[in-house]
Amino acid sequence: MMRGQSLIVHSLLLPTAVMLCVAGGTACADENGDAARPVDFARDVKPILAAHCAQCHGALRQRGGLRLDAGSLALKGGDSGEVIAPGSADDSILVEYIRPDGDEPPLMPPAGEGTPLEEEELAVVTAWINQGARVPATEEIPPDPRLHWSFQPVERPLVPEIDGKPVSGNPIDAFILAKHKELQLAARPETDKATLLRRVYLDLIGLPPTREELHAFLADESPSAYETVVDRLLASPHYGERWGRHWMDVWRYSDWAGYRAEVRESQPHIWRWRDWIIESLNADKPYDQMVREMLAGDEIAPSDPDTLRATGYLVRNWYKFNRNVWLEATVEHTSKAFLGITMNCAKCHDHMYDPILQRDYYQFRAIFEPHQVRTDQVPGQLNTEKDGLVHVFDQDLEADTFLFRRGNEKHPDKDNPLTAAVPASLAPVSLQVQPVKLAPREYYPGLRDYVEEGNLNYARAALRNAEAELKKLTDQLTAATQTAKAEEAQQPPPETLPSPLAMAAAAKRVAYELLQLQSVQARIAADRARYADPPAENAEALAQAAAAAEREANVAKAQWEVAKAESALQTAKDAEKPDDDKTKQAVTKAQTDLDKANKDLETAVAAREKTDGGYSPFGEVYPAHSTGRRLALARWITHRDNPLAARVAVNHIWLRHFGSALVPSVFDFGLNGKPPTHPELLDWLAVELMDHGWSMKHIHRLIITSRAYRMSSTVGDATGNLAVDPDNTYLWRMNARRLEAESVRDALLYVCGKLDMTAGAPEIDQPDGQTNLRRRVYFRSGKEKQMLYLELFDQANVNDCYRRNESIVPQQALAMVNSPLSLSQGRVLANTLTTATGEPSAPESTENFITAAFEQILCRTPSDEERATCTEFLRKQSELLAAPGELTRFDSGPEVKTKPSQDPALRARENLVQVLLNHNDFFTIR
Amino acid sequence: MHGQSTTPRRQFLADVGMGFTGLALSAMLHRDGVVRGDEQGAWTPPTGVPHFAPKAKSVIWLFMIGGTSHMESFDPKPELNKYAGEEIGNTPHKDVLEAKFLDDNLRVVVPNDANGHIRHKLYPLQVGFQKRGKSGIEISDWWPHLGECVDDMAIVRSMWTTDNNHGAQYQFHTGRHSLEGEFPTIGAWAHYGLGSLNDNLPQFVVMGTPIADCCGGVRGHGASYLGPAHNGVELNVDPQNPLPFAAPGGDVYREEQRGQFELLNQLNRTAAVEYPEDQASLARIKSYELAYRMQSAVPDVVRFSEETQETQQLYGLDQKETKDFGEQCLAATRLVERGVRFVQIFHGSNGGAGAWDAHSNLQKGHAKLCGQTDKPIAGLIKDLKRRGLLEETLIVWATEFGRTPGTQNSNGRDHHPFGFSVWLAGGGIKGGIAHGATDAIGFHAIDNRHYVTDVHATVLHQLGLDPRRLVVPGRKRLEIDFGRPIQDIIA
Repeated sequence: MMRGQSLIVHSLLLPTAVMLCVAGGTACADENGDAARPVDFARDVKPILAAHCAQCHGALRQRGGLRLDAGSLALKGGDSGEVIAPGSADDSILVEYIRPDGDEPPLMPPAGEGTPLEEEELAVVTAWINQGARVPATEEIPPDPRLHWSFQPVERPLVPEIDGKPVSGNPIDAFILAKHKELQLAARPETDKATLLRRVYLDLIGLPPTREELHAFLADESPSAYETVVDRLLASPHYGERWGRHWMDVWRYSDWAGYRAEVRESQPHIWRWRDWIIESLNADKPYDQMVREMLAGDEIAPSDPDTLRATGYLVRNWYKFNRNVWLEATVEHTSKAFLGITMNCAKCHDHMYDPILQRDYYQFRAIFEPHQVRTDQVPGQLNTEKDGLVHVFDQDLEADTFLFRRGNEKHPDKDNPLTAAVPASLAPVSLQVQPVKLAPREYYPGLRDYVEEGNLNYARAALRNAEAELKKLTDQLTAATQTAKAEEAQQPPPETLPSPLAMAAAAKRVAYELLQLQSVQARIAADRARYADPPAENAEALAQAAAAAEREANVAKAQWEVAKAESALQTAKDAEKPDDDKTKQAVTKAQTDLDKANKDLETAVAAREKTDGGYSPFGEVYPAHSTGRRLALARWITHRDNPLAARVAVNHIWLRHFGSALVPSVFDFGLNGKPPTHPELLDWLAVELMDHGWSMKHIHRLIITSRAYRMSSTVGDATGNLAVDPDNTYLWRMNARRLEAESVRDALLYVCGKLDMTAGAPEIDQPDGQTNLRRRVYFRSGKEKQMLYLELFDQANVNDCYRRNESIVPQQALAMVNSPLSLSQGRVLANTLTTATGEPSAPESTENFITAAFEQILCRTPSDEERATCTEFLRKQSELLAAPGELTRFDSGPEVKTKPSQDPALRARENLVQVLLNHNDFFTIR
Repeated sequence: MHGQSTTPRRQFLADVGMGFTGLALSAMLHRDGVVRGDEQGAWTPPTGVPHFAPKAKSVIWLFMIGGTSHMESFDPKPELNKYAGEEIGNTPHKDVLEAKFLDDNLRVVVPNDANGHIRHKLYPLQVGFQKRGKSGIEISDWWPHLGECVDDMAIVRSMWTTDNNHGAQYQFHTGRHSLEGEFPTIGAWAHYGLGSLNDNLPQFVVMGTPIADCCGGVRGHGASYLGPAHNGVELNVDPQNPLPFAAPGGDVYREEQRGQFELLNQLNRTAAVEYPEDQASLARIKSYELAYRMQSAVPDVVRFSEETQETQQLYGLDQKETKDFGEQCLAATRLVERGVRFVQIFHGSNGGAGAWDAHSNLQKGHAKLCGQTDKPIAGLIKDLKRRGLLEETLIVWATEFGRTPGTQNSNGRDHHPFGFSVWLAGGGIKGGIAHGATDAIGFHAIDNRHYVTDVHATVLHQLGLDPRRLVVPGRKRLEIDFGRPIQDIIA
């Protein structure tokens, strides 16, 4: 049967074999289907087997004892013998398994665990076997993936010596220089002072230096001038805003997103996490501590609202419609952000490259299975829609985790609930889970002083309002009666008088609110006794009193409702007109309402007969324990022996200082990622981070004071380097970079003197970005809630942004030229600079103005050529603008509040400033 | 920072001077950080050259938001009239309730939603239908003008999707269910793969009000990880305000702004002498030149007064109900005439699920919406044909799902992901064929079933692109993401 079938396959393969010949140009087949030119195993066959087979028959796993990731191993076969018969594909078990059987798919790869070979691929494998299944004599056997570099312990490497001598100064330079020596690259010299100053300002605080700061730095000739600036910038509160935004990319900051007012993703009030990030960075909170607080702040410091904010990191994944989507995002991005591991690849099957099983994926998920999101009240605001502290906690301590077969949530493997664990192959330590006992105030927010106070205040205010209403009605009645008496006339017109029923209702309301206040007081007293440690002796008695008070209040409430319904019925009856159906319906409805109110009253009265101590808590009472799983994970990630966390962290920092990363695949340190360009430097920095208490400012300072960082970004006379390292992988010069979206807007406002530097507080509506002048980091950013102006400049994709894009498109130019923000700010700055440098009528002021504008916007003085160009422009443009009758206005566009100057010379200056705000050197960090 | 240049200044200025001949801008524009210098060699972004000979240069993608009834449009089912009012389970077609597609072919977002359920009581066709054109394909009477074009159309009657709610709009454009995350849309892929034919216009244009936030929002024409340079650019047919930031407003003189652009160009070129290797600087100089030209080129596209009265009428510009959509269709013609790659027109946005979402009053609603779109779309086909553009322009008409054979709310139909219709025309697509089929009551796609990515695959195939060769490293695509071109309808 096999043989007959293979004939059919052969004839089918004929055209594809020819195609192969055309497409590849390498392995050509003759008309018998056998290749005339030999198939090369390494070039032609190995990639096919690697893509389709090696996942289960490779270095990591050897199903059936078979490996197909190396030719010699493939020939050796598996537990049940050889699978390849050299010279005869038809007799090879391998081919039998990977070839379709008529219309049936092939046996291998098994459905759902890989894709069958394409016809062309099958033809290549067949041809290779038919040609004798030759494999290279020297062949590299893929090593065990557990031995991959990033899974090995981090140890501090020796700082390289150059020409046998230690390199003085910053060790970073020794590592960089060693590579330069090896590749014979010539490093570029230190850049000029002005460029360096602008570079370090934008890098550390996201804002350029002012003219005064520029002048001061140029004048400071002390050897420590640069270090002084670096220290000042690292101490600036704007450092946290700048680097906070970077980490918000990595940690996927998102304000709530959804449809109209409906929250579908993330949560309101998550801005507190943003403030926590910024504050923590400014305080140089250790990185490991930040990671622990984000993953398990509620288990570390459950009573500290400042720390609880950090768990916004997890809150951000909240998703209204599907818990699996929520947890998938949590697993995927926790492993990518902190470990540089693509755990998500193991959701449907074992990881294709890394030593992570599908089971590992779900065990990792189990760490997060119990957690949920809640919003606690904050002092001064009991309405959590208006404000609140949103954070995570463990809700369902016994929640099961099941492996989803093929990743499909419809097919959970319910027979095998999984425990929480981390992939054993990633680190030599395991998860140490210890349940966390919570204090009553932590799991029952109703006990907190400000909540108790708030509830009492609310009840007192309700009582006051009730009393005021009753007094108002009484006063009306008194006034009307007195007027009637004084005038000795007829009765006052009945409609101006409060009805007796309304009066009765108001009185019932007062009665209720009084009892309600007493009930609140009694419940608070009972709560305090019950949750005291140990519980107070009179706790049971107080509970019974509270329950009784609550039942009394409930009766009073029901009585009030009845009185209101009676009053409403009377009003409806009074308004009823025989020929108006609407009024008749109103009476019917009022009667129904009254019936219901009476029924509720009966229920409340009946309930009053109870004597138990069950009273209502103030809000939710959450579980008194947390599983401790997330804290265990956080400790595992930040454990000194975890080989990944510190490497991943310093790589992210390096990327944002240099514009290129040491490990280019910043979220994938696994086997499919890119190897480090400077492995020893990466490890040295990782150890340095850990040995310095995970201080990020320490790493910043090291990097920024290195010679590598201070190099010129120009090629200059080092053109020889271009042949060896055209992409500057080995950092023989600095990389020039484009400002990120946020910095484009912030820097524009800042140089024009209009940036509002207020820090923190709730997010600002994103459409206000053209008129509200605060830093971008404080505006709302959600899936559909983005600022178009900045989106054009590659603002972070809230879903996933481990690394920013740097696109250049004409729409950016239009936004910079035509947006109200740019137009008005250019006008403002021109006037400010004119005030500083003199009116255009003063002959020498033009030169001063041009210099000032260059310094203010580009942080450098103009060259003679630039100065001449600008002077000529100002002259010509003034002339042009002096004859407005001959000019054509644009007939559309936005209304801009700040109008152009009436003075043609001044308006020309505005034009010049607007041009400089669009200058390449403005967008570029050189 | 000055004076370190080794390139002779004169030589350099000549290189960056008019024409920019030595620099492929599209390559520069694509140099957007997805790939970085240190990764080059291993992988490079698309060059803008098709992978194989294309049949079409441009795509016009018409999307009806809310879910157009397939049975009352392009897949008439007389059995519905025969068994009108009967429960499916009591008819000879009761097998549809046992089909495996019911489970496999469905991924529910909100389990207890009021909508998105099987409706059992069969609802008769709300409009008549007849054979049209030489091919005799049956189309409903709500599409009389389009009926005249049927011999240019390939109707695909066997579509399926999996979202039973309007996230299916997002799904139709990305091929992925809304629960699965963020993915590029078909327009973004085309733009990414092919880049520009006309530098003065955005290459991926979106008209009509896009999908609402409920159902994908701006992500429905977004590029996701391909980068914002490949997002669809929203264009209004109003020449006063065609693009965001298209003009600076009446305070500014045209001559004044021209002077600014000239100065900027001059200053940037002077400064660029210091950075001859800085591709980004050169690209930005060019991008400002483009922006300046775009300011006038874009409003030109929507100056319909340049078209004859007869052409305007062909698209229905003279009638109130067809004017809005007709203008968008005419703009689409003028855009592809100018080399724009991908024009995506949305119809039926109502800030929510979409106007086509006929849970009730299907007859009234669909009659009105077909009335708004029938003539303009027919006009589009006829006009492209006589301009000689239909051969190289692929038109796709689509909607997120069909509607239930059974009735909802007495006079409507519910969402139906199990079987529905789309059609394609022009751009190397066969005319006058109906491909695939649903069962006798329009419930399940049964013959030649196609998931939405098969439409994407067909579009890319006609553009000469192989989606497998567009894959970005680190962004795994599943087999189903690529789809398979619908070979039977390709000429």
